[in-house]
Amino acid sequence: MPAITISEDDFLKFKEYFYRKTGMLFENSKRYFVDKRLIERIEETKSDNFRNYFNMLRFEVSGNELQNLVNSMTVNETYFFREEYQFKCLVDSILSEITKKKTDDSPIRIWSVPSSSGEEPYSIAIYLLEYWADIDKWDVEIMSSDIDTNIILQAKRGFYSPRSVQHLPTKILAKYFRREAEGYQICEDLRQAVEFSRVNIMDPVQVRPFRNVDVIFCRNLLIYFDDTSRRQAAEMFFDSINKGGFVCLGHSESMSRISSLFRVRKFPEAIVYQKPWEA
Amino acid sequence: MAFIKKQTAHVESEDQDIRGLERDFIGLVAELDSDDSSVRRWAVRDLMPMPESSQPLVKRLTRENDASVRAAILNALAHLGDSVAVAGLVDCLRSEDAALRNEAIDVLKEVPHAVEPIIGGLLTDEDSDVRIFAVNILESLRHKNVEQWLIGVIEKDTHVNVCSTALDLLTEVGTEQSIPALNLLKNRFSDEPYICFSVDLALKRIANGSD
Amino acid sequence: MKHILVIDDAATVRLYHRNILEGAGYQVDEAINGIEALEKVLVQPYDLFIVDVNMPKLDGYGFLREFRSQKDVLQSPAIMVSTESGTNDRTLGYVAGANLYLTKPVKPNELLSYVRLLIGDLA
Repeated sequence: MPAITISEDDFLKFKEYFYRKTGMLFENSKRYFVDKRLIERIEETKSDNFRNYFNMLRFEVSGNELQNLVNSMTVNETYFFREEYQFKCLVDSILSEITKKKTDDSPIRIWSVPSSSGEEPYSIAIYLLEYWADIDKWDVEIMSSDIDTNIILQAKRGFYSPRSVQHLPTKILAKYFRREAEGYQICEDLRQAVEFSRVNIMDPVQVRPFRNVDVIFCRNLLIYFDDTSRRQAAEMFFDSINKGGFVCLGHSESMSRISSLFRVRKFPEAIVYQKPWEA
Repeated sequence: MAFIKKQTAHVESEDQDIRGLERDFIGLVAELDSDDSSVRRWAVRDLMPMPESSQPLVKRLTRENDASVRAAILNALAHLGDSVAVAGLVDCLRSEDAALRNEAIDVLKEVPHAVEPIIGGLLTDEDSDVRIFAVNILESLRHKNVEQWLIGVIEKDTHVNVCSTALDLLTEVGTEQSIPALNLLKNRFSDEPYICFSVDLALKRIANGSD
Repeated sequence: MKHILVIDDAATVRLYHRNILEGAGYQVDEAINGIEALEKVLVQPYDLFIVDVNMPKLDGYGFLREFRSQKDVLQSPAIMVSTESGTNDRTLGYVAGANLYLTKPVKPNELLSYVRLLIGDLA
């Protein structure tokens, strides 16, 4: 069998399509990386060549292959303080805007989804404790959900590999974790700070209890969904958050490929999306 | 520490209060005319699983001016996908409101089976704007006939912008089958630089695709 | 160098405009719809916008309305380019904040002459 090749025109065609669907734009310097992943997927799906593969990608009714491809083009790993600029945005910009508009002293509700093994919701808790001056003035409720029961158990347990905590400042690591033989155990106070739950965000009945949320972190999840599921997830989030509440997406995700329900807001640290006040 | 936990069951009872108690079909349809947009939006969301909802939702859509309620209605209609729902979505293509048109196009892209029986009529509609929007629907439609529909457009349509829109898509999905129609189009609009540019691009992509 | 943002959901149209404008020495960025355009304009200033009307998620009118309401962003001129040639469409474009309304397809010299009129040459 001849070796599979990706021509210059194939690359450009693919690049445009992938950009339209995901918002991710590959520069020509990424050509080698993209070709390599494409060839892997062509082999994996037994498509023989780019033409057949692209045809399947474009027209396959299930849309599954696009999700597989997004998976292979992105690095889906989770660790403490990943995309830290957004946590900085939370404590330096978002929360002050929310507290300024609050008319009562009800808790600030933050929903982190998917929880994965817990790095994100715990990072939020740590960030609030360490860097948010008003933490003593407000009650905060951190909720975190995932579709996978096993991963939730892991998150609740709060045991992490050295790799997972490698981006944490030493001071913070020492303060909130206990060193054990194989890794790090997060402290009991933080384990108690996050309420974990099993939720499929595509199921309206399961999402229904999540109301009056002020900030949703949904990073590096919707990019793996098809157009319909993305839009429906955005509809759910819209119902879950308060007017003026915020949605934070992953760094390679954009609401421009998901929904028109939210306003684009730029803070010094990040671009986030806001449910309009007049909604 | 200022972190608190709340049991979700508690939240659910609050939720019931916001959404009212009469959640049957007739009650929900009545709520579509509420003055409060969040009540209307919840009514739409709760009507979505009810198969007989298309008619009242389509009726509301024409008068609805809140963007979030409209988005919920379009989403519900795409989900329902019956002939009344699809006809309601298609009517939006004739709207003067650009946002509504584009939202309708977006959801129609996602229902290939519902679009299949009506796309032929839309692609030959007497209004060139509707023909353009019909081509826009094909943009992400996961249907094996897309290239054939596009070839039909560039072979016959006399409106330059309808052909341009189809041509844009053919640079992505065109195969050898499109070559004669592409050449023909370039001859028909040889004085239009945009058409010539796009035809050349489409032909180049077809010729230089790797086997 | 003058920096232009081309906002259109059609990849071929973006490329066509890019080629014309880069050929005349302008620097070009692209956005696929109004939301992506807002994400870009809130981060960096542009000297001119070429804006399509019909786009998914946020159309050209919606983009211009939102953009024109941003007080701390450089309010550069915008050329709206549409497939629709009705008087009503034109009026909507101007009301939303367009400085000029052109009907597609646009010829290269026509586009360049309007761009020069609005933002001058490259210096």
